[in-house]
Amino acid sequence: MPSMQPAGVTVFAYQVGFGDCFLLRFHYPSGDRHVLIDFGSFPQPDWARDGFMAGVARDIASRCGGKLHAVVATHRHADHINGFADNAGGPIIAGLQPEVVIQPWTEDPDAGDATVPAAGAPGKKSLSFARSLRDMEALAESVVAEATALRGAGRTGIARELQALGMDNIANPSAVRNLARMATKQQRYVHFGAGAGLGRVLPGVKVHVLGPPTLEQTDTIRKQRSSDSNEFWQLQAAASRMRVSAAGTLFPGAAVVAREGVPPHARWFVEKLRSIRGRELLEIVRALDNAMNNTSVILLFEVAGRKLLFPGDAQYENWMFALSQPSVRELLADVDLYKVGHHGSRNATPRSLWNLFTRRSADPQEPRRLTTLVSTMSGHHGNAKRKTEVPRRTLVAALERESTFFNTETINARQVKTQPCLEISFT
Amino acid sequence: MSTSGPHTRKLTVIAQDPSFLGPDGRIVRTQVEITAEDLQPGPWGYRVQVVDWDESAGKLYLPGEYPPPVNGHYPDPFENEPDERLLEDPRFHQQNAYALVMRTLMRFEHALGRRISWSFGRHQLKVAPHAFGDANAYYARREEALLFGYFPKQDGIVYACLSHDVVVHETTHALLDALRFRFMEPSSPDQAAFHEGFADIVALLSVFSLPDVVAAGLRRGIAAGVPENMVPEDALAPGALRASVLLSLAEEMGSEMSAIRGRPLRQSAQLDRNPAYYLEDPEFLAAHRRGEILVAAILNTFIEVWSARVNGLRTVADGMLDRERVVEEGAGAADYLMTMAIRALDYVPPVHLEFADFLTAMLTADAEIRPDDSRYNFREHLRRTFAAYGIYPVRSSERGDAAVPRARRRRSPAFPPGAAPEPGSWVPCRHLALSYDRTHFEPMLRDPDEVFRFVWENRVELGVFDGALSQVASVRPCLRVGPDGFVLRETVAEFVQQLELRASELRRLRIRAPQGMPPDEKVVLFGGATLVFDEYGRLKFYIHNALDGERQTARLAHQWNSGEWDDSSAGVSPFAELHLMRITDAAANVLEEW
Repeated sequence: MPSMQPAGVTVFAYQVGFGDCFLLRFHYPSGDRHVLIDFGSFPQPDWARDGFMAGVARDIASRCGGKLHAVVATHRHADHINGFADNAGGPIIAGLQPEVVIQPWTEDPDAGDATVPAAGAPGKKSLSFARSLRDMEALAESVVAEATALRGAGRTGIARELQALGMDNIANPSAVRNLARMATKQQRYVHFGAGAGLGRVLPGVKVHVLGPPTLEQTDTIRKQRSSDSNEFWQLQAAASRMRVSAAGTLFPGAAVVAREGVPPHARWFVEKLRSIRGRELLEIVRALDNAMNNTSVILLFEVAGRKLLFPGDAQYENWMFALSQPSVRELLADVDLYKVGHHGSRNATPRSLWNLFTRRSADPQEPRRLTTLVSTMSGHHGNAKRKTEVPRRTLVAALERESTFFNTETINARQVKTQPCLEISFT
Repeated sequence: MSTSGPHTRKLTVIAQDPSFLGPDGRIVRTQVEITAEDLQPGPWGYRVQVVDWDESAGKLYLPGEYPPPVNGHYPDPFENEPDERLLEDPRFHQQNAYALVMRTLMRFEHALGRRISWSFGRHQLKVAPHAFGDANAYYARREEALLFGYFPKQDGIVYACLSHDVVVHETTHALLDALRFRFMEPSSPDQAAFHEGFADIVALLSVFSLPDVVAAGLRRGIAAGVPENMVPEDALAPGALRASVLLSLAEEMGSEMSAIRGRPLRQSAQLDRNPAYYLEDPEFLAAHRRGEILVAAILNTFIEVWSARVNGLRTVADGMLDRERVVEEGAGAADYLMTMAIRALDYVPPVHLEFADFLTAMLTADAEIRPDDSRYNFREHLRRTFAAYGIYPVRSSERGDAAVPRARRRRSPAFPPGAAPEPGSWVPCRHLALSYDRTHFEPMLRDPDEVFRFVWENRVELGVFDGALSQVASVRPCLRVGPDGFVLRETVAEFVQQLELRASELRRLRIRAPQGMPPDEKVVLFGGATLVFDEYGRLKFYIHNALDGERQTARLAHQWNSGEWDDSSAGVSPFAELHLMRITDAAANVLEEW
């Protein structure tokens, strides 16, 4: 049915501060169809006012003509999904009645209920990991509480970073609930190689799910694992719950003194312990942040002879399985649009992925030169001295040098009223 | 204060951890013998100070008193106390951590035949038994401390400070840091892995040197119906011992603590003998995986030696051996192997350690103090098991520069007859024409300036690099006693060189900068030697890694490509970070980053 082939696609990339929000418009002869990929902002730009995300939602509603065909929530970090919450733009997006909602397998609330799992579906180990994501959120919550205490104790630098990373990882029940109920026809929880479930709503468009792999898939390309990381997260979360609920009841009958009563000979050490504790929490919350990023759905759209790659915040551990498959490497070679992973951080555009892209070119006039797109906010995460700044300077330099590069940060406070998003069209 | 009294005291500790129960259903415990001293509340002694501050709860658990000796013996406050008391009284936790740290320190001092100073220059290591509510435990050099966490389980709380192997593991990090300060510097994949692997080795052998634990492991391999005091011979073949003592104990031992640093026993016991892991597999370039190879080689040696030792025992009934003797031999083998491993530290280079250096050092150290190995063949077993994992002694031709890349070495080196007293050990440096005319015997035993003068006078013969910051970091006289009472006097000195330069200047030193390194990148190179002097003050071994030369190229490339170059961590403690890597099984991906 030639009439059911889209003639082109347009990507609207919203300026949402530190976050992702992309509206894809597929141009069908019978009328446009729309897919929303992520809707989150954390933190919002300095200039954003109350109701900022509801405003973005209204703009989306108007652009899609009151109808979304699908929503993709790549992973559950606040900067990707907090717009779906009740107090943001959740009700507006739900009102657009998306037929399909796609999320990673780690979000499946029924995971583990099936008595005989389908071939390739997440196995026991994966499901235990999915459960441990909930634990990670509980841990993040307690880290934020401890960060507040550290800030009170004058450790502001570490406290600020802890707070930022912790808040991004805290559960957002309202957004999660809305996402789980939003689809009018189908909720999809996907893993590498699974069908995206968009065949009916986007006829003539091929959508490949390239991530996240299940743990069983990852295990096929790694040797025996040295540990069970699920257990670690479960215990960390349990420890954090204990910190919150029962601190001080470790030895009910024991003689204790509080901070003020510490004898002089022990004060130097007690002070050192407080300082190292903050740094230790930071390491843990960073590991947690990475684990959550690696649950990102990676989607490759093939439409009207173009390839558009949306990897969420996937880092190497997520990409590793896809990149180990020769057929996937071949598929990725002629990508036309690459949405830069994780706001341009140092570890979410694997070099082995970047090197696959054959349309990279230093010549701006090159026909069909690679297009890259990042949604980011400088100065919020990381530190240039430690080479952890986001976006990473060296990555941005490569993007600018070898592709036609779009950055949502280029939309400033004044422009945003008339132009809330960048617009990139492929026909 | 007493002026004289007993030299040792016994304190009750939990033998492995509270989940490790004996046949009576009680926690297996044991008494350890440590140096006696009049302890201040803490316990707070001359080398270890326990400060029981809980940062998560914001509380200090007050310590108990340690009364003076009664009838010539220090009382053991928790002897025969019920399990509940051991678990619920923080003062027992304080004692458990104190006693195990002291026991480990004493094992090291005994093996090396001298006192060991902590790396941070003060006398007392701080120990926090309940530092925070977290699944974590680590040595922190800057804080001069061992920190142990606690976390909940289904029916209670897991305390890291009550886990024998965790306490010994962390103490070993502190002791290794005290003996080889530079082993925490970036170097080769082996050096990055060594701290963790060595800490596991000492921790596991420390546990296996307790007869109660060995007996419990052995029971798992014996069929029902065999009398309590006997072991069938077929349960003592290496394969059977591996299954009963290593594999089955691994499932139980440390299972509660796996969230702290993985399952070292299980991982290593399951690592089959395959040289490819060490020689070729990129997954085993990550420090937390590579260390497992070292542990596997040592554990297999333990099993082989134990099996060989019981082979010589007389049967007490048809095909049956006396169980107590078998247990004794196992604990004895573990204990001796631990001594060998610790002694080896005096014979490894002060910088750029590789596993081959460690193997060579173990063989040398043991041959020096126990020339006759014919009874149990410890050294032969060591050579064989290490070779099975792709690790061979340093070749004699490499003596003097121990860090030849060994990636492609396939067979054991051949030593010319008479070149070395023991196959695979360092070759004594008798052939060097060294001058002793301007140095004096007595100060050479303890004075870094005098030893430095010796090095300076002989710098050409010793191949010392000109033009670097050079220092004799330590001079340590040792008095080692062998198992048969044989006494060995030696002086061990560490000589270290350091040079800071730009990447563009490396070529002058025959070093290639890693691909992608900017020409103005600051590079710090290390070189140095361990000098072992005999009792007459003559240099016996010179274990050297050059500051310049081709071998630095591979090390720099590894550091540049593995993430060791950029420190993007929060700066907690390298060990805390390594434990986190180990637990979350993070993949090495620096080459993929920007």
